[in-house]
Amino acid sequence: MSQAAPPPILSVVPTRALVDEAFKVRVENLPAGAPVTLRCLHQSEDKDFWEAYGHYISDAAGSVSVADDASFGGTYRGIEAMALLWSMRPVPGSRTGLRLRKRDVRSPMLFTISVYDGHVGPDLAGRPPLAQVLVERWYAAPGVRRVDVRERGVRGTLFIPPGPGPFPGVLDMWGGGGGLLEYRSALLASHGYVSLALEYFAAGELASADLEFKYFETAFEVLGQHPSVVPDKVGLLGLSLGGMVALCVAAESSVVKPGCCVCVSGSHFYPRGTALSQISRPTYGNVGKVRVDEDQNLIWRDIGLPVSGDLSQKADVRRINCPLLLVNGQDDQNHPTCEYADDMEAMMSSVGKRHLLSRLDYPQAGHLIEPPYSPHFRATNFMWDGRKAKVTLLWGGQTKAHSDAQEDSWKKILAFLQQHLYSLPCPRARM
Amino acid sequence: MIGNRARAEVYRHLIGKQLTSYVGLHRKPCWLHSALAARWRTGSTPAPVLTATPIRALVDEQISIKAGFLPQHSPVTLCAQMRSEDGDLWEAFGHYYTSADGTVNLARDHSVGGSYLGCEPMGLFWGLQPAPGERDGLRLRMKNVEIPLIVDISLMEGHVSPRERKSTELAVVTTERWFMAPGVQRIDVRQNEVVGTLFLPPGPGRFPALVDLWGMGGGLVEYRSSMIASRGFASFSIAYMEHKDLTVKLNISSADAYMKKAFNILRDHPQVCDDRIGIIGLSYGVYLALRMATLLDLNPSCLVCINGPAGINLEFTQTFHKPKTSESDQRFWTQAEARYLSFTEMSLPTNYSPGTQVKMENLACPLMYILGEDDQNSPSTENSNLIEDLLKKAGKSHLYTCLSYPGAGHLIETPCTPHARMSMWKVKPEKVFALWGGDIAPHAAAQQDSWKKILTFLDKHLRA
Repeated sequence: MSQAAPPPILSVVPTRALVDEAFKVRVENLPAGAPVTLRCLHQSEDKDFWEAYGHYISDAAGSVSVADDASFGGTYRGIEAMALLWSMRPVPGSRTGLRLRKRDVRSPMLFTISVYDGHVGPDLAGRPPLAQVLVERWYAAPGVRRVDVRERGVRGTLFIPPGPGPFPGVLDMWGGGGGLLEYRSALLASHGYVSLALEYFAAGELASADLEFKYFETAFEVLGQHPSVVPDKVGLLGLSLGGMVALCVAAESSVVKPGCCVCVSGSHFYPRGTALSQISRPTYGNVGKVRVDEDQNLIWRDIGLPVSGDLSQKADVRRINCPLLLVNGQDDQNHPTCEYADDMEAMMSSVGKRHLLSRLDYPQAGHLIEPPYSPHFRATNFMWDGRKAKVTLLWGGQTKAHSDAQEDSWKKILAFLQQHLYSLPCPRARM
Repeated sequence: MIGNRARAEVYRHLIGKQLTSYVGLHRKPCWLHSALAARWRTGSTPAPVLTATPIRALVDEQISIKAGFLPQHSPVTLCAQMRSEDGDLWEAFGHYYTSADGTVNLARDHSVGGSYLGCEPMGLFWGLQPAPGERDGLRLRMKNVEIPLIVDISLMEGHVSPRERKSTELAVVTTERWFMAPGVQRIDVRQNEVVGTLFLPPGPGRFPALVDLWGMGGGLVEYRSSMIASRGFASFSIAYMEHKDLTVKLNISSADAYMKKAFNILRDHPQVCDDRIGIIGLSYGVYLALRMATLLDLNPSCLVCINGPAGINLEFTQTFHKPKTSESDQRFWTQAEARYLSFTEMSLPTNYSPGTQVKMENLACPLMYILGEDDQNSPSTENSNLIEDLLKKAGKSHLYTCLSYPGAGHLIETPCTPHARMSMWKVKPEKVFALWGGDIAPHAAAQQDSWKKILTFLDKHLRA
């Protein structure tokens, strides 16, 4: 048998990585100028299939480098090193309104990256790839310990980096979907923080409607008193409703003294006396402000507008005494986060605390700003207990801009945490 | 309670202030070492940060190890510790000074003491040696390649030994060292009396392939094959002696038939390119590879030969097949150092049994010879010279490349395989150690460099 065409070589480096690490995808040994499709396929824990793909043309040496070459079609265009991950979406025929979230952080996410001959579309059933690689992406580094927390009424999961410590701590809070999501905490522990993923109401449940402030104060104490944690180096990190909780606790607790506070897509909108699970949701009084887009996705951003001047409608951020980082998407269709950030800035400036505030406002980014390279969710299903029904909420954002925001903000969040929770207090001489 | 806590806070604050000013000025006695480490453990500042990237890596990948948030210009120790599958403790360490900004970076900084000296980003891995007090004559050979080796990297305060890890440890990261990439398939082969393990890369194929042969240590060694498959080649490790599933006892001619069967099993596999198959051999595996390439009409596309001969002494090799070596057999073994065996005399070309020397003039494919100049097990320099001469005489010098590594021993393996200058060869009737030769640093450099060059050689001759 005469020598057949040399087999193309697909390589992804590294094949095992943390989810916030970049990889390099290369194809070699192709014919020169050959059209090929690179595809990334993932099956979620819920058994849905997600995919991304790009159309490339090999160079004169028969190579394609995703980090250097442009994609001419597919789920992304242009030179995008990591788009095979962040441009993923459910394969045609999937259920609608899906969101990709890893529940078990003790195992990796597996991605199959393949190269196909020609520029092909999503319907690749039965067509064999030219080459294929399997890639593992982990939320937790080896040695990170996972501990269930059921202490003083506080429910959550603690992630502790390996080593003698002590470490700074982060109280990690998600949003109004409720439940217990561990992945961001596992990732924070992989970066050297003892992180408590806090559950403050179960998914879709109207449980503990009058959730007390005290719950968060106790959670903060439980974390600060852990033997691996430096008590005065504990920060708050919250997304959406969790961000609002972080702001309230930082502003109004006499007990909690956070080392710093990161609020992602959150606001200080907190009408006094409202149960936590009712905040930012449509109620009898404001349901008229809910809009609907062309796909019947609900837009909740107007519920909080206009920003009230009345202090009883919001957390008094003038009382915050720690560095505060606000991360927002300007296309957030769920909360009017930029408007609220403007108001917070004005309030803090009025008492000479503007220097504590840092803002990251990302154009065309939506509400769900998560750790990098996770797919963008423009609208997903949401269990809204008020209607006892599943609705689809519009989160907003354009995929490319949103993914850039996730990548950039995560770097900056880690730098912010490191600056305020790790750096040595002694001032350095400036030469 | 509150009063006690306030006092504790003040105390911590004072310790922090006091010791920070001492750091880096002079070598500290042991109790202060513990106190400083203890300050971080109980104190009001977080411990220094240690990172290793990538934290899960294949054994031939570079890892970047850094530490930060340390006092400036201070002595620290980086230490690696690992337990093998057999439970033995292996360790390595380097002594460093932090920079002006309180960081250590193994890609930038120099070790001034410990297992290795100088700027060695991977020294903590290739410098691993059995800890003091461990068993004699250990060699690290991974049996289960589907799980990683766990190596803990510690940052310790001061210039200390790994013994003092507990009292001086500031930070730790746990790294995983993998011999197999995700998606590589491991397949037991027991076919036609052939015993082996096939490793297939992920994907449909077809793949270029390699037959992987080891030496007279016997058994079935998989970790080089799994790494070759992780680099995109199908790889077939073959057992030819001392394996429980082997039903045949092989002599020279029956070994030829056996190897032919093994080669064809690989060639006939639906995911293997039948015209892109090479052979890699170490030690006696080189002799088998050379016979396959020159005698058996198999037409491999290329050969990689590591420290092996082009002929054998039959009487001497016979002794390996006996369960118990007699005194008369032992005359073939040179007692090179007390109780350390070396086979350098008997494997010399002048001692080849007649008819065993390979007809190198029949070679029809490129051959890369990897030579450890300090090979104390076999006369590899003489053997490689012979091969080169024979090819020259046959007008086939263009097929031959030799990479000769000074200070390297017999067992030139995958990168970061810890070096064993000697290891246990047989336990009965008495413990006997084989001498491999080589020194740690040059041997590690040889493994690192030859692996890269082997992969390039395979790319060129199996993929072009």
